[in-house]
Amino acid sequence: MASTDIFLLIAGMMAVTYIPRAIPAVLVDKMKFGSRTEKFLKLIPYTAMAALIFPGVFLVDNMNPIIGIAGGAVAIVLAMRKCQIMVCVLAAVAVDFVLYLFL
Amino acid sequence: MSNKNWKASYMTGMRSGLPVILGFVPVGIAYAIMARQAGFSVLETCSMSIAVFAGASQMMAVGMYEQGAGLIAMIVATFILNLRHLIMSTCVMNQMQDGSTAGRLLAAFGVTDESFAIFTTESKENSNLMYFLGLITVTYLSWNAGTLIGAVASDFLPAIVTASLGIALYAMFIGLLFPNLTGNWKLAVLVLLTAMCNTVLTQVMASSWALIISTLLCAFIGVFFVELDEEKEEGNTDGIN
Repeated sequence: MASTDIFLLIAGMMAVTYIPRAIPAVLVDKMKFGSRTEKFLKLIPYTAMAALIFPGVFLVDNMNPIIGIAGGAVAIVLAMRKCQIMVCVLAAVAVDFVLYLFL
Repeated sequence: MSNKNWKASYMTGMRSGLPVILGFVPVGIAYAIMARQAGFSVLETCSMSIAVFAGASQMMAVGMYEQGAGLIAMIVATFILNLRHLIMSTCVMNQMQDGSTAGRLLAAFGVTDESFAIFTTESKENSNLMYFLGLITVTYLSWNAGTLIGAVASDFLPAIVTASLGIALYAMFIGLLFPNLTGNWKLAVLVLLTAMCNTVLTQVMASSWALIISTLLCAFIGVFFVELDEEKEEGNTDGIN
């Protein structure tokens, strides 16, 4: 492929990525949602995050499932104790680092 | 929105974005290395991160490019993979208390899984445009910094560090999600249901579709049995700041 094709690709990807992000920016303000819909929208962050975490966290390292399980478990324990996000992240990374030293 | 000035909101948003750096820089490096190996120039590699700002689809696109995929196929695949941002942006814009259309169109460019997760679990006090712009300034800069590093310097991080950082974004999502589940067992049940639903669906379809379907289906089911504190005043601000 010639170099111009890559910039065409970038332009196309930019359009199809930005448009879905931008539509709600224009429309949501003008819409009035009912209480049911409002509740549905408020639940989406929780279901979306659940789906972003599972099952992906188990597959962080395809060869070693323990990496995802141990790092995820540490993050869950700290999160339940309402630790800061950064603490959760650093602790999970540190645990996986130590595990890799032994794997 | 409180009477805090916009600058304070912007700084608070930036601070909330800090954990994302640990996830985005190594992934940005990995993307850039993939792109360079696929035959992209440094300019092309960086341009894609500047213009698109969507990690998973950029990686997929350079992978497809290397395998000789056609232009339309790569663009369609990107569209499908990023369709979830339509849902996420709807939640972000619905929660945002202020902002002109122009401001919101700028904010929309920065809607990613991570900025969506951080913003929608924030307290009402921080549900404003400037907070979101501060947040995405950090995520956007770290994604592009990672890209630049990977494109020009290749991988300076030891392999063990890169591997260990693989958990970072998952740990961040966990840190955002789980504090909300203590004291709300119905929400915890919904999260468990979604996790199982998505795990099953990813076995039978592309993970991008599985994520959209399990997110929407389970949120719909949740409407009938989960109770939310209507005022998310407490939220998990202590977790974020």
